[in-house]
Amino acid sequence: MGRQVIHFISTVNRIVVLLLGGLLAIGITGVIADITLRKLGSSLGGTDELSGYLMALLTAWGMSFALSQHAHIRIEILLDKTAALGRAVLDAIALMALTIVATLITIKSWPVIEKSWLLGSTANTPLETPLWWVQGPWFLGWAWFSVSCWVYFICFVVLCLQKQWDESHKLIAGRQNIEEMEQ
Amino acid sequence: MISFLSIGLLALLALSIPVGIVLFVLGLGIDIFFSAFPLDKALGRMVWSSSNSSTLVAIPFFILLGEILVRSGIAKRTYEALDRLVSWLPGGLVHANIATSTMFSATSGSSVATAATVSTVAMPQARDLGYDEKLFSGAIAAGGTLGIMIPPSINLIVYGFLTQSSIPQLFLAGLIPGLLLAFAFLVVTAIICKVKPALGGPSRHFSLAERAKATLDLLPIVILFVVIIGSIYGGIATPTEAASVGVLGALIISFCFGQLSFHAAIEAVKGTIKITAMIMLVILGASFLNFTLASSGLANQLETFLQELGLGPYGLLLTIIAMYIILGMFIETLSLMVVTIPIVVPIIVQLNFDVIWFGILMIVLVEMALITPPVGLNLYVVQGARGKGTISEVMLGALPYVLMMAVMLVLLVLFPDIALWLPNSWAVK
Repeated sequence: MGRQVIHFISTVNRIVVLLLGGLLAIGITGVIADITLRKLGSSLGGTDELSGYLMALLTAWGMSFALSQHAHIRIEILLDKTAALGRAVLDAIALMALTIVATLITIKSWPVIEKSWLLGSTANTPLETPLWWVQGPWFLGWAWFSVSCWVYFICFVVLCLQKQWDESHKLIAGRQNIEEMEQ
Repeated sequence: MISFLSIGLLALLALSIPVGIVLFVLGLGIDIFFSAFPLDKALGRMVWSSSNSSTLVAIPFFILLGEILVRSGIAKRTYEALDRLVSWLPGGLVHANIATSTMFSATSGSSVATAATVSTVAMPQARDLGYDEKLFSGAIAAGGTLGIMIPPSINLIVYGFLTQSSIPQLFLAGLIPGLLLAFAFLVVTAIICKVKPALGGPSRHFSLAERAKATLDLLPIVILFVVIIGSIYGGIATPTEAASVGVLGALIISFCFGQLSFHAAIEAVKGTIKITAMIMLVILGASFLNFTLASSGLANQLETFLQELGLGPYGLLLTIIAMYIILGMFIETLSLMVVTIPIVVPIIVQLNFDVIWFGILMIVLVEMALITPPVGLNLYVVQGARGKGTISEVMLGALPYVLMMAVMLVLLVLFPDIALWLPNSWAVK
C-alpha cells in the first residue's frame, strides 16, 4: 500500500515536471520575443512579471519532485557513521522537520491567496494580473509538497515499525547514499 | 542570539535535517525566542515574494543551458578540441581537463555539472593513454570549481539576490580571478609535470590542420559565451534574459553539432526542475532567516559583538576566512554560502568592506570547499566517474590546486582590485 502511494506521488510528479517543462519553454520563448521586439522599438510588456510567476510555480511544484528524487540537500556526515537504528532516528528527525515546515509554509500561505481573493488584489504592473490566478496554483504546489511529505513520513514510520531499516533509509537518503547501499 | 544561531545551525545540520529546513527552523526559533512581534505571520508572504522573482528565474535557465550542452554531447566535442590545442604542454591531457572546465564554466554556471561532465569524458582517456590518475582526476575536480567563479555563475546569482547587490557587477568581478585561477592551474600542472614527468602523461602533438579544425570546433561554444556575457554588458539584456538567449543558443548548437534526442531533452528538463527546487528550498529558508534576523535587531547585536572582540577589520576578516575554510570541510558549498550570508555579510558591511569584492572572496573559499575533504563534492563526483582506486588519490591530486586557491585568496585580500577593477571601470548596475 505504502509503496503504491509513493509510486502514485512519483507518477504525479513526473507529469507535473513535464507541464513545468512546457511552462519553462513558454517563458524562455516569451523573454526572447520580448528582447527581439525591444530591439525593433516595441515590447510585449510584462515578461519580467510573468518570469517571476514562472519561478514561483517552478519552485512550489518542483519541491515534491525534488523530494521523490532525493535531491534536498542534507549534511550526512553523522548519518554515515551511525548504525541502522541511529540512522533511523536521524532520518525520522529530518523527515519530521521537513514535514512540519512544509505544512507550516502551506498553512501560512493560505492567508496570502485568501487576502488576494477577498480584496480582488491585482499586481501593481501594467498587466494588472489578478494575484489569486497565480497564487492559487502556487499554493496548491506547496499543499502538494506537504501531502507528499506526510505520505513519506507515514511510510517511513511504518517501515521502521517493521524493522525494514534499509528500506526506510532509502526513502529519504541522498542519491549518493542510496547508490552506495546498492553496490 | 549570535550563539543561539551558531550552535543551533551546526547542531541542526549535524542532525542531517535538510539544509533549507534548518534555516526555516532557525528563523522560527528567532521568532519565538528573540522577537517582540509574531514574525511567523509573514512566512507565507516571504515565501511568495522570494520565489516570485524575475532575477532568480535565471537559475533554471542557466541550469537548463548546461544540461542541454551535457546531454547533447557538446561537452565531449569541446574536450576533444581542447585536447588538440593544449595537450602539447608538459602534462598533456591534464591541461585539456582544466581548459575544458574553464570553457564549460563560462556557459554552465555550476561546478558540480562541470566536474561531472569533464570527468565522464576524460577519465577513460587517462587509462587508455597511461596517465597517472591522481593528478589527472585532481585537475578535473579543481577545474570544475571554476564553474561558480567564471560568469555566468549560479552561486553569484544567489549571492546577489540575498545581498541585494548587482549581479552584472558580480559577474564582471568574477571574470579576472576566474581566468587567473584557470591560468594558475595550467602553470602549476606544467611545473609539476616538468619536475616529475611520471605524475602527468605523454605530451600530445597534433598537425596544424587538426589544430585548425579544433579551433573551429570550439567556435560555437565561444560564440555562446560571447552572446551571453556580451548581451548583459552591451546593455541588451538582463542576466535572466541573457540566460534565456543562452538556452536558445545551446539548443541551436545542439541541433547543428550535437545529438539532442527527445528523451535527452526531457531528462534535461527533469534535471533542471530537480536542481532548481533543491536550490530554492535553501534560498527560501535563507530569505526567511534574513528577514527574522533583520526584524529582531541582529545588526545592533553584531555591532556590539564586533566592538567587544576588538580584532580590527582585517583580524575579523581573517577569522571569517578561517571559519569558511573549516566549515567548508563539512558543509556542502551552496548551503555554506546561503547559511552564512545572513550572518557574515552584515559584519562585512559594518567593517566597510566591499560587498561585491567579498562575494568573489567567498566564491574562492567555497571553491576550496568543493575540493577539500571530507565533504568535497567535486572529489566525490570525480571519484564516482573513476569507479576505481580510492578517493584519497583524488584528494592528493587536487592538493596543488587548493594551494593555488589559497594564493588567490591572499592576492584578493592584498589587491582587491583584482576583482573590483573590471566592475569599477565598466559602469554597469
